Amino acid sequence: MSSSRPKPRTRALIVALVFALLVAACAPAAAPEAAAPQSTAPSLATITFVQEPDTLNLMYTTMWFVGLLNELWLVGLWNFDDNLAPVPQLAREIPSAANGGISADGRVITVHLREDALWSDGTPLTAADFVFTYEMILAENNTVITRNPYDPFVESVVAENDHTLVITFKEPYAPWLSSIFPYVLPKHVLEPVFQAEGTLDNAAWNRAPTVGVGPYVFSQWESGSHILFTRNPNHWQPANIERIFIRITPDDAAQIAAIKAGDTDIGVFLSFADAPELEALGTVRVVTTPSGFMEGWFFNFGENGHPALKDVNVRRALAYAFNRDQINQDLLLGLTQPPASPWDLSPYASPDVKPWPYDPDKAAQLLDEAGWVVGADGIREKDGQKLILRYVTNMRRLRLDTQVVVQDMYRALGIGVELINHPSDVFFGGYAAGGVIATGQYDIAEWSSQPDAFPDPNSTRWMCREIPGPDNPVGGNWSFYCNPELDALFDLQAATVDTAARIAIFGEIQKIMMDDMVWLGVWQDNDVWSVANRLQNVRLSGADPFWNIAEWTIR
Amino acid sequence: MTEYIIRRTLQAVPLLFIISIILFVLMSNMGDPLATLGGRQPPRGEDRLRLERQLGLDQPFYIQYIYWLVGNDWRMVDTTGDGVPNAYGTRRGILRGDWGTSLVTRRPVLEMIGERLPNTLLLMGTVQVVVILVSLGIGIYAALRQYSLVDNVVTTGAFIGFSMPIFWLALMLMYIFAVNFKRWGLPYFPTVGMYDPMVGKTVPQVLWHMVLPVTSLSLISIAVYSRYIRASMLDVINQDYMRTARSKGLAERAILWQHALKNASLPLVTLVGLDLPLLLAGAVVTERIFAWPGMGRLFLDHVERIDTPVLMGILMLVSLAVVVFQLLTDIVYTWLDPRIRYR
Repeated sequence: MSSSRPKPRTRALIVALVFALLVAACAPAAAPEAAAPQSTAPSLATITFVQEPDTLNLMYTTMWFVGLLNELWLVGLWNFDDNLAPVPQLAREIPSAANGGISADGRVITVHLREDALWSDGTPLTAADFVFTYEMILAENNTVITRNPYDPFVESVVAENDHTLVITFKEPYAPWLSSIFPYVLPKHVLEPVFQAEGTLDNAAWNRAPTVGVGPYVFSQWESGSHILFTRNPNHWQPANIERIFIRITPDDAAQIAAIKAGDTDIGVFLSFADAPELEALGTVRVVTTPSGFMEGWFFNFGENGHPALKDVNVRRALAYAFNRDQINQDLLLGLTQPPASPWDLSPYASPDVKPWPYDPDKAAQLLDEAGWVVGADGIREKDGQKLILRYVTNMRRLRLDTQVVVQDMYRALGIGVELINHPSDVFFGGYAAGGVIATGQYDIAEWSSQPDAFPDPNSTRWMCREIPGPDNPVGGNWSFYCNPELDALFDLQAATVDTAARIAIFGEIQKIMMDDMVWLGVWQDNDVWSVANRLQNVRLSGADPFWNIAEWTIR
Repeated sequence: MTEYIIRRTLQAVPLLFIISIILFVLMSNMGDPLATLGGRQPPRGEDRLRLERQLGLDQPFYIQYIYWLVGNDWRMVDTTGDGVPNAYGTRRGILRGDWGTSLVTRRPVLEMIGERLPNTLLLMGTVQVVVILVSLGIGIYAALRQYSLVDNVVTTGAFIGFSMPIFWLALMLMYIFAVNFKRWGLPYFPTVGMYDPMVGKTVPQVLWHMVLPVTSLSLISIAVYSRYIRASMLDVINQDYMRTARSKGLAERAILWQHALKNASLPLVTLVGLDLPLLLAGAVVTERIFAWPGMGRLFLDHVERIDTPVLMGILMLVSLAVVVFQLLTDIVYTWLDPRIRYR
């Protein structure tokens, strides 16, 4: 007679299967050492990430979170402190004309490396590692995220000796300080991989970089859960805290819950709206850092833009009619200000350029003078065309709220606003992919932009030759703005190595951009952090936030 | 039967082929995978153009699909960007075991799936076992005591459970048993993750972290399953052959398990057959809420980045599982009910 109960062998099989699954799921990730507790608990600081890094190798990502980790385990020639001043790391000193590090023509940068810098496995770090890094960035089979500035600006990278690195640019290149070698690859680890596989794309080191040169060394990455770093015993400046634990949380709410519960020491990429609640806890302090990102409006000067935007007085009227102080007070809780220019809060910000004030009467007057008069339906019109602008942005909550407020403000002045939102991958899509801003499907586009290599101010975003089109699909001037005078100044600053002279050029650039109302700043898009009170000596920087992590202490 | 299985297997080939084309078309229209590359602003134009070429995104849709399917190691491709094909490609295609490489992490898709699949199987497998056992108990009990107080309570509870959205239930369980229990000084469950990294990935840790996600997922499914089992049992226990079995003098226990339940199991098998493939897909919402590092979360994270190779890998795996489990379900039917014959 058959039985409905499983036979013993079947039962054993089921039990074995469940056990195998449990064991498989509990198997350690690719980890050289486990995160098991020690008898005397080592000091540990916890940082929450709301996004899981794509990789740990900066060569393959521009992900901001990966950049944060770079200061822990890899570092570069130098990083930037909380005043955005360069601090030598693998370089012995910052090259300058005075110390012979910058050639007279500004093309050749000579870097002297620290002689006591060792990879975490004890191998000395040499200039050959930097030459190898340069070669890997340019290697055709490596799908690196960017070749900037090596292609097209660098002529050669040469190891003059073990501790002297010479970088020669084709032309004087002002942004060199913030763009060359923010990271370096271990030649002795990766060269064999490249020789064997022809690419570093699949190197295990990208995800489990057990050899690094920062104050910490990678220890464990459990996908979807956490990343653990331990103190690098071979670093020239041993870190105070023994372990850094990166907790990957699924979303902002989970991060806030972790901060409230005291489960994390550093809260990262917080929303401005969370700041008061966190400060009220009394257990953390909220810190904002200028990251170079400025939220602003890009007007469409191209053929797809509303014809009214061709008139500078209409653009000025839009600025006068937009109460940006109210946005900063109500939506950003007064933690930010409207930026006067894309270089706000940086040494290159011109003191002569001030944000446009809120003056709705002046706005109405300018619009009337420009011929855009209020029609029967309350919307301004000229020659039968309505002044209805497509105000386009992505899905960021703060931007959605701003859109609604602006629509309300502009309605009172007879300016119609059509609110349009797209996911980021459509909004920021490239020209060839039919991206919304790249192909000019907007009148006003709002997003947060940063100079090309912050904290350096260089930008090509408003240059004529960067206007995208069928012949130039890679163009990055998505405003379609063209002003030869401005182009000349942008070209001049990029080749001006002298900082004072460069600041003066940026003063002129900002004045032209302000007078011609090329870009309208909405808020300074600073980064917001929470730092637990028990964590001391944390000096977060807008460029390299964890630049002094070796100096952090736990109270 | 063997002939039937072979025929069904052969039929699955064009089916999977059509599914893959439809999915690839959908993926290709989701947006630009190189829009931000995970950064906070668009990449440099020159880099975007180079990456399009290196990652094969500059090819027409049908070529991308062919490469995904059969690889490109049989064809010269342009690796230098001068427009002249100069070297054979390196991809072998999914038909030859190459599931592709993630556009986001550059890691092999199979490796990424392999990393998450055990976590999802553990979570969802446990849920499935809990659901079947508990709903069998509830469903049979309610059927045997139709319209009793217990039956009415179970029925009401099932409707409430059936109506509850998973995200609400999961957050409520988390709020009560993790957040508030901790606040009240009671033993509390962990809110996120698969284990406490400070303790390590031990079996008790994983089991402890599974309690809330398994409960969230199970409660809703139990409500559905128990209703089916109750209805199906009610159908069967009033059949003539049940009376015959009793008149033969069989023990009530044997009647229940061998005659009633076995015949009442067909709807349950159908349900399980439909649900089993989802074991592989994971629970997108629940894994997200409880930060469970499974397939559902992998899918969600990579949907946001339009990582076509990873998404195609996950979806094809689930499609394959659906086909396989449907076939298995049909085979189990014949075992449960010998009257069923396939030609």
